[in-house]
Amino acid sequence: MSGGRVVAVLRAFWRASIAEELQYRGNLIAAFWDTVFWGAMAVLTVAVFFGQTDRLGGWSFWEVLLLLGVFNVLVGVIEGVLRPGVGRLSEYVRTGALDLILVRPVEPQLFVSFRHVVPWRVTDIALGFGFIGTALRQLGRVPAVAEVAAFALTLAAAVAVVYSVWIALMSLAFWFVSVENIGVVFEAVFEAARYPVSAYPGALRFVFVYLLPIAWTTTIPASALTGRLVPSSALMSAIVAVAALAASRLVWLAAVQHYTSAGG
Amino acid sequence: MPIEAAARGPRGWFELYGALLRSAWLVDLQYRASLAIWLFWGMTEPLISLAIWWSVAGGGEVGGYGRAEFARYFFGVVLVNQLTLAWDAYYVDRWIRGGELNHRLARPVAPIHEAIADNIAYKLRSAAVVLILWSGFAALWPAVRVPFEPARWAAAALATLFAAGIRFLNGYATGLLAFWLTRATAVMELQFGLSLFLSGRIAPLALLPAGAAAVAGVLWFPYMLAFPVEVLTGTVPLGAEYARGIAIQVLWLAAWFAAYRWVWTRGLRRYGAVGG
Repeated sequence: MSGGRVVAVLRAFWRASIAEELQYRGNLIAAFWDTVFWGAMAVLTVAVFFGQTDRLGGWSFWEVLLLLGVFNVLVGVIEGVLRPGVGRLSEYVRTGALDLILVRPVEPQLFVSFRHVVPWRVTDIALGFGFIGTALRQLGRVPAVAEVAAFALTLAAAVAVVYSVWIALMSLAFWFVSVENIGVVFEAVFEAARYPVSAYPGALRFVFVYLLPIAWTTTIPASALTGRLVPSSALMSAIVAVAALAASRLVWLAAVQHYTSAGG
Repeated sequence: MPIEAAARGPRGWFELYGALLRSAWLVDLQYRASLAIWLFWGMTEPLISLAIWWSVAGGGEVGGYGRAEFARYFFGVVLVNQLTLAWDAYYVDRWIRGGELNHRLARPVAPIHEAIADNIAYKLRSAAVVLILWSGFAALWPAVRVPFEPARWAAAALATLFAAGIRFLNGYATGLLAFWLTRATAVMELQFGLSLFLSGRIAPLALLPAGAAAVAGVLWFPYMLAFPVEVLTGTVPLGAEYARGIAIQVLWLAAWFAAYRWVWTRGLRRYGAVGG
């Protein structure tokens, strides 16, 4: 598919999603309060730790709050795009709806990933950027242009990593039909991304950098704005993102290859 | 036949629960992968908290807790949480909104007995897994060993039983709010969020700000989790303090039972009106 066609398809998907979601306007209020409540709980949690210490893995309270902002932005992407999109894959496989997707003249991965979005979850993204802005003000930091660029690059890489993990995990539905709960595994592990990796004991730090890509999702983008990021890490995060996208694409292709349809 | 159990006295109840437990156990057997996933989910949150506190404590102590104390506390949280965890608010909400309550009402026993049996079957299985894992860890890692004191273990078991009762009735009664609310599960989420602090999930209550600890003390939250954990780890001595904790648990158990009866009888009347 050409780039222009992809854009046109995405625009059609999102227009349809927004029209669907506008039927449930009450959900906007629910999403808003959900965001506010869990945002408050997250800040209080960090405050409990800082009640006993003034550094978490070398990060100050406001630096950790900035990281929590990045976490919240990613939560918005997960709840707004990934869960309503790729999250339905096991349902498509179980009910056979995937057959109808495979015969469409659109790349199936694109369709599965982006056909359904929940626009209300921009509340999470807004709160995340709110945290980031507040933290920067409290830290008295005005990031340089290069730092903002590094932040944008590493945040985009983080979104790509999270997307890849979802594609790979959800593709398991092709082999094991009852994996609706597999998202829970991701959720549980992703909780660890609320804190900088340096706040974990050494062995876990190794796991979060090299085995489970937790460090690349929140610690690295937050480091870009707190002036801790070395240029090589920014470059590395781009490489990790590309590798993750490629690996998840291979898993997806193998999975579709394996699919014999509900009737087969 | 267990169907007429209610009219049959103790023997009837015994048969009824025998049948309900057998069926709950068999249903769970079909969803082994799901159970493993939820077990994993239940373990990660306390273990992440432990990892952070482990670093914060370093070689020293914070608020009287060193690394070994934190390790024992959060392993205790994993076990007691698994034994008290109740999803009933979500099920009951679905029964009411989806109409699945109807066929349950046609049975001669209240639906709460099915929920109780489900909980017993689920908890026996998952707590057994946690105990095996804990023993494995304890063999390798002295910090998480709990001293071998049968009296203390028995005391902790009783506190855990009451904690499970409070948490179950709390969840069940909250779910029944679906008779009136379309978002009864949001009320559950709200309590779940507060329990992060007030039940001692993020930190032992002694490490919370004094105000939060005081609020927790007059609510049921610590008696659903932190209290049995601290009995098990030895923070709560087995004397007057333990007896006081158990007494408060009994009060909360009675309060939530009363709340359940109240919501159930009122709600049913209303539910009948909707259908009738």
